[in-house]
Amino acid sequence: MSPATNPPDALALPLPPARPFRKYFNIFRASLTERLAYRADFFLSTMLRFLPVLTTILLWHAIYAAAGTGRSLAGYSEDQMIAYLLLVHISRMFSSMPGLAHGIARDIRDGNLKKYLLQPIEMIPYLLSYRVAHKAAYIATSALPYALLFFLCRDYFTLPTDPWIWAGYLVSLLLGFLVGFFFEATIGMLGFWFLQIGSFLYVINTMSFFLSGHMLPLDVLPAGMAEVLKFLPFKYLAYYPATIFLGKVQGEELVWGLVIELAWATAFIVMACWLYRRGLRHYSAYGG
Amino acid sequence: MPIIEASGLSKTYRVFQKKEGFLGAVRGLFRRQYKEVHAVDGVSFTIEPGEMVAFLGPNGAGKTTTLKMLSGLIYPSSGSARVLDFVPWHRADAFRRRFSLVMGQKNQLWWDLPAADSFHLHREIYSLDPKEFERTLAELTEMFEVKELTRQPVRELSLGERMKMELIAALLHRPQLLLLDEPTIGLDVLAQVTIQKCLKEYNASRGVTMLLTSHYMRDVEALCKRVLVITHGKVVYDGPLARITEQFGQAKLVKLHFDGDGVPDGLEVYGEVTGREGPVASLKVDRSRVSEVLGAILDRYTVLDVTIQDPPLDQMIARVFEEGRARHESSHQPA
Amino acid sequence: MGFPACGLAGREVLTRKREKREGGVTRYLRLWFALGKFGLLREMAFRGNFLARLAVEVLWFGIMLIFYDAIFAQTAGNPVAGWGRYEYYFFVGCYFALGGLIETLFLSNCGEFADLVRSGDLDFYLLKPIDEQFLLTCRDLDWATAPNVLMGAGLMVFALLNMPAWTFDPLLAGLFLALFVCGLGMAYSFLLLLMSTSVWLVRNQSLYELWWLFTTLMRYPREIFRGSWELVGRLFTYVIPIMVATNVPANVMAKRLLDPVLVGYTFAATAALLYLSRKFFRLALRRYRSASS
Repeated sequence: MSPATNPPDALALPLPPARPFRKYFNIFRASLTERLAYRADFFLSTMLRFLPVLTTILLWHAIYAAAGTGRSLAGYSEDQMIAYLLLVHISRMFSSMPGLAHGIARDIRDGNLKKYLLQPIEMIPYLLSYRVAHKAAYIATSALPYALLFFLCRDYFTLPTDPWIWAGYLVSLLLGFLVGFFFEATIGMLGFWFLQIGSFLYVINTMSFFLSGHMLPLDVLPAGMAEVLKFLPFKYLAYYPATIFLGKVQGEELVWGLVIELAWATAFIVMACWLYRRGLRHYSAYGG
Repeated sequence: MPIIEASGLSKTYRVFQKKEGFLGAVRGLFRRQYKEVHAVDGVSFTIEPGEMVAFLGPNGAGKTTTLKMLSGLIYPSSGSARVLDFVPWHRADAFRRRFSLVMGQKNQLWWDLPAADSFHLHREIYSLDPKEFERTLAELTEMFEVKELTRQPVRELSLGERMKMELIAALLHRPQLLLLDEPTIGLDVLAQVTIQKCLKEYNASRGVTMLLTSHYMRDVEALCKRVLVITHGKVVYDGPLARITEQFGQAKLVKLHFDGDGVPDGLEVYGEVTGREGPVASLKVDRSRVSEVLGAILDRYTVLDVTIQDPPLDQMIARVFEEGRARHESSHQPA
Repeated sequence: MGFPACGLAGREVLTRKREKREGGVTRYLRLWFALGKFGLLREMAFRGNFLARLAVEVLWFGIMLIFYDAIFAQTAGNPVAGWGRYEYYFFVGCYFALGGLIETLFLSNCGEFADLVRSGDLDFYLLKPIDEQFLLTCRDLDWATAPNVLMGAGLMVFALLNMPAWTFDPLLAGLFLALFVCGLGMAYSFLLLLMSTSVWLVRNQSLYELWWLFTTLMRYPREIFRGSWELVGRLFTYVIPIMVATNVPANVMAKRLLDPVLVGYTFAATAALLYLSRKFFRLALRRYRSASS
């Protein structure tokens, strides 16, 4: 029963035609091969990734020791704090998009956009498949070392028992990927109008480390600041999934939270696509 | 005393073979295959002061590698060389002060700053006397006709103007030897001509020895009396440009304008017919037989006009490359 | 022989004279000033970019202050890892100043090295009659990160003034400066070592990322390596002396802890590292020149 003979369900998402799927799958496969080509880099990056984790844990040990035994800081016990700082790594694994905005801006600046205009490939789906491939490869190759790390630190974790929490966690990670991707894509699209977005990007990325809760839980910050930051979408990149896993967001609050996250993701998708179309018109006007 | 003496220079590389596909990449993580490439194979020559010599050869022949060995940028696998009475790859400070290397399409100057600032830095790097520096700079900018452009950022200049600035920078410290790797590649004709003129003038007035590699026969014809042809890492010809014609230009091009509307049949017996256009025929005739063939044709047919030419230099050089390749392949036949 | 030969002989004499005239330190200092000046001119050509980066450095400094302020607010004034509030602030200031100096003077140059190796443009730097290490590590000054040095120094002064019963001791200050310079020398050596490896390794990660990982060891007092982790702490103090760069000077000045072994070790390690890193760098250049085409 092919889609051609069977009219699609009105509510179902339309299936992409088979050809583009194969095309994007090939891109996926080629990107995977590319990743495996850099072996020394792989070994080095894996080993060195864990050093900052170690020093962070040790720092917080010292901080909690100073606070006194059994104290909790902003509602986080020492175990929860360490667990949080490890969990944000997982969140960032999904939501970090290194080089995405830069790459878009560079393609615009160097005139490489032509390849999207001449070939039957759209920029955003292409970049998305490329990024999914990279992420999949990255997660696959990092799975073992991270599993080891988490196993070594298992004492800090209390696994959630509620299956809905797990579901919510996974959904928030996937949505975090979308938010991360389309947020960076939106910024990249600004390259149509501004010659050098590199500096802007740099500011944003530096801020993101702090604003996303990657550095420390947003709850630890002074009250006013924490409120503002929890309102912004940056939290979805690191803070939000981690707090779900730690059981700090439950039940109805969780459902609403995910809906809002979905809304933010959609907003960024729409913005990125809209900016892309506007940008192309602007670009062709200049003759590329 | 010769400026450059090269003896048996060789450079061999190991090139890792990358396997195709996914499984190949995985296998490549654990074991790698390689093959040996002889980029330069026993190159020997001598260059006297004040000469202008061209290195010719197809891509990948080893010209640039040889040039880099003479600059000290690459260690040879075997062989020796003396440049300006130094061993190049020891890279003595004194050696580096006395020569320049310019590479076409590669930029040594600071991209975002005016060329004048790069020149200023150049002065600091080479510790040049300020007065002397100003004088040399004025001379060079005058000669290359770029006086007004030195205060513009280098990235705003055209390719030709950029190349001129590169050459000025290379000559500011009054080197005794100038090595040029494809200096006019990608430039428009006017820029090429200006640069050729300036280089020739500089060589004549200051006796700076120049060694250049090029693909453009125009460069070679305009500048160099002596040519070294390199193919597959070996020198296959070393001598005056004029003699290439004699050695490799065995045929002459004879163009015949016949009386009537077309070209008569049966011309093949006199030589290779390379073209027919209306009443005009082009023939490639062996040197030694030209007068004989001409006599015979003029006897049989009515000819309105005759021209006899050497085949273009490009063709002859291509012949040289071809022979070099044939020789290389035959010596590398699997036993 | 003719005119060309006479011209050559004459030029040879002039060149030799020129070489004798200016040598040594003055020449390199002059060159460095010229490079610094042109570096600033280059930054000014892209003013927007420069200002944005400046803003980020200030913002980052602000974030760090907020972070530590929040932490110490929660610990009710107890010392963290044996460092009281203002002592810790001094440490942070020291780290910022050191990091700022490295970033301004060397980091961008070292970061570009890998690209130079890959593209072959490294050749141009090897042709100049200047020491390659100097040219490749010092050729550009990144002025946008220079304020870090000032902010770090400012924080250090602020911290000292707020410490109870602190008095200015010129000898101690002198020792601190000497140790700080040693820390700079050590950090530079590590940078040089890392940079040189790009001749052998094709890396996907930039030097900046590796350097950032390096600094994670420099940014905390080594007392956090306690208990079962003390061995790791010792590893990074005595074997790969990264942590010494910030810890020893800060200890000396802020806590007035004079451990002669550690201080002596700092001086020795700095000298050894500078020597070793230079040797390794030259080895890397030899490798580049054997392998490039």
